[in-house]
Amino acid sequence: MRSKALALGLLCIAAAAGPANAQPAAPTEIKIGALYASSGPYASISMPVFDGFKLWVDQVNASGGAEVKAFGKKIPIKLIAYDDQSSTATAATLYNQLITQDHVDLLVADSGSVLTSVGVPIAKEHKQFLFDVSGTGAAFFTDDNPYIALMADPVSTIWPHYISDYLADEGAKQGIKTVAILYSTNDFTGTQAAALKGFFERDGKVKVVYYQGVPTSTSNYTVLINNIAALNPDAVLELGYVGNDIAFLRNLQDSGSQFRFVFTIYAGTEKEEIEKNVGISAMTNIFSYVPASNYEYTPNFGMNLTEFHDAWLKKYPVGSNVAFGANAVYGYMAGLVIDRTLASTKSLDQMDIHDAVFGLSGQLKTLDSTFVLRKDGAQIGEVTPLGQLQPAGGKEELDLVAVYPPDLAKGKAVLGK
Amino acid sequence: MLTGAIVAGVVFGLYYTLVGLGLNLVFGVMRIVNLAHGDFLMLGGIAAWWLFSSFGLHPLVSALLVIVVFVLVGLPVYYLVVPRLLRSRDSEMLSLILFFGLSQMIEAVTTIGLGATERSLPPRLLGVGPMILLGTRLPKAWIFSAAASGIAVLLVYLYLYRTRLGTLTRAVMVSRDEALATGIDVNFVSAVAFGISIALAGVAGVFAPFILGSITPNMGVAINITAFAVIVVGTLGNPLGTLLGGIIYGVSLMLMQTYLSSWANLLPNLLLIAVLLVRPEGILGRKVRRA
Repeated sequence: MRSKALALGLLCIAAAAGPANAQPAAPTEIKIGALYASSGPYASISMPVFDGFKLWVDQVNASGGAEVKAFGKKIPIKLIAYDDQSSTATAATLYNQLITQDHVDLLVADSGSVLTSVGVPIAKEHKQFLFDVSGTGAAFFTDDNPYIALMADPVSTIWPHYISDYLADEGAKQGIKTVAILYSTNDFTGTQAAALKGFFERDGKVKVVYYQGVPTSTSNYTVLINNIAALNPDAVLELGYVGNDIAFLRNLQDSGSQFRFVFTIYAGTEKEEIEKNVGISAMTNIFSYVPASNYEYTPNFGMNLTEFHDAWLKKYPVGSNVAFGANAVYGYMAGLVIDRTLASTKSLDQMDIHDAVFGLSGQLKTLDSTFVLRKDGAQIGEVTPLGQLQPAGGKEELDLVAVYPPDLAKGKAVLGK
Repeated sequence: MLTGAIVAGVVFGLYYTLVGLGLNLVFGVMRIVNLAHGDFLMLGGIAAWWLFSSFGLHPLVSALLVIVVFVLVGLPVYYLVVPRLLRSRDSEMLSLILFFGLSQMIEAVTTIGLGATERSLPPRLLGVGPMILLGTRLPKAWIFSAAASGIAVLLVYLYLYRTRLGTLTRAVMVSRDEALATGIDVNFVSAVAFGISIALAGVAGVFAPFILGSITPNMGVAINITAFAVIVVGTLGNPLGTLLGGIIYGVSLMLMQTYLSSWANLLPNLLLIAVLLVRPEGILGRKVRRA
């Protein structure tokens, strides 16, 4: 009788403990929610990111799905993507929809700081981890928000430091003493401009003589350039989006004004796009960032740049109205981070996702350089070298040559007279 | 800097005169607001880009072609849309909705067909380097577009005041019903005005890559807002008032860029509010606007 009661007791304990220890059933698919802008002012940076991300999704699904450690098997990815048309109001609604209606497992932000900005508080409120592809605004990253990490670009407060380092170092030696900073008033470029101003004031070697913001919608810079020229600065830094840089470089050439050092973000970052609209002569000797689409890093996971470019051209042949550039790399690179996250996360719980993403910090090397996160989720690896668009030997084309820092440089900068 | 801003503003504003001229002509004749005006401008720019990249056609030649083609496009669009609209009880309000829809359609179709990226024409086509005007460096392209705008204003003026069709157009502008009662073919007169309006937008589009840097399928809405501010300032329904409205907008924009650059994009709205509060009939308007 006593042994029967003991057996019954053990059975009850086993029955009670069983479900708690069992693995949850593996889902039939991993749902990834993403936004993109097929039209509007941010389409030219959003679509390449989205196309790069889709390329990764297609590759993964073609191989049977993503390896998910939590379930010990490959699971296909289902991409749920909506078009926010470059509208922050629409994006806010769609971020909410992805979280509350579609119940996505992983949430990927649209490209750029403007369209990411509305997703940050929504993701935080719903405790949904946000894979921030290229929203670099410094305000997104705070110690009280564990639900975000920046994937593919360095945070704006550290991104431009090679510019100020170069001007304070090599530039000052060659007589650069004054700088004008003209920026578009948005999280992305506004933060970079403020950071640069702070760097220059801290170093004390180059004086900021002009510091003005213009609306991101600005499409004409003639009077602004004339006003800057009146102050005769040695260096001019224009920080804007693609459309801003096109207008600025065209107006600079038209104005006939010359400065010893001119920097724009997208002359190098979206070289093909800018070259098509501005022409080679207006871009010659312009300084810019050297993005991963123009610099070969050695990855420890995923395709290298050459392989990626080949895969890109296979999926999006020339003439398909899809531009290859840094943003294409960023989209694919975000996919690689998700790939490694799924391969190491304990579950699909959002804090486990957080832990898995942060576990990659310093370990993951992709075609976009080394992935390093600060504890608040800001990206502090992947800092792009400073480059210059220099004439390619005797040919009617320009090379984006890394000129600073010395350990990454592939050539020497040429300053104007 | 002040002189430079004013000189640049006058020349730049002349381009916006060209942008607003067609919009105002349509409003003057038909009392409808063509919210697809900016999209027709974008199509003009796309046409110039396509004609150059496919056939190497110079933009000034493209401008002439665009005038012909856009007038021919404008006529059937008018007959398809406007007469029905004018028969409705509140044609002004309905025109906002209808042409907004048309604007969205044009943007969507262009995006699907060509992608969302920027397109432009080489700056060298209208001359590289500055032109000095009253001590101010201005792009040569600005001078070309200002000249084109001046010619357009002159031609519209000659059309309205020196041709029989122009006289009939002015009669329709004064009173559509009375014009109809006197036997004027109001629909034909309006269709021609609509075609001219679309052609003016198309020509402004040809110069857009040189003035605005590039063309994108989504540029129409922003252009409409600015063009609307220009014609309200100058006086709704008065095509010649657009000249003044354009110059006021241009000078104000350049002064804002010089002294308060971060707020420059508020300018069209500020001008609209200021004019509607202080002089709702517009600067060249009569005491009571007919609209």
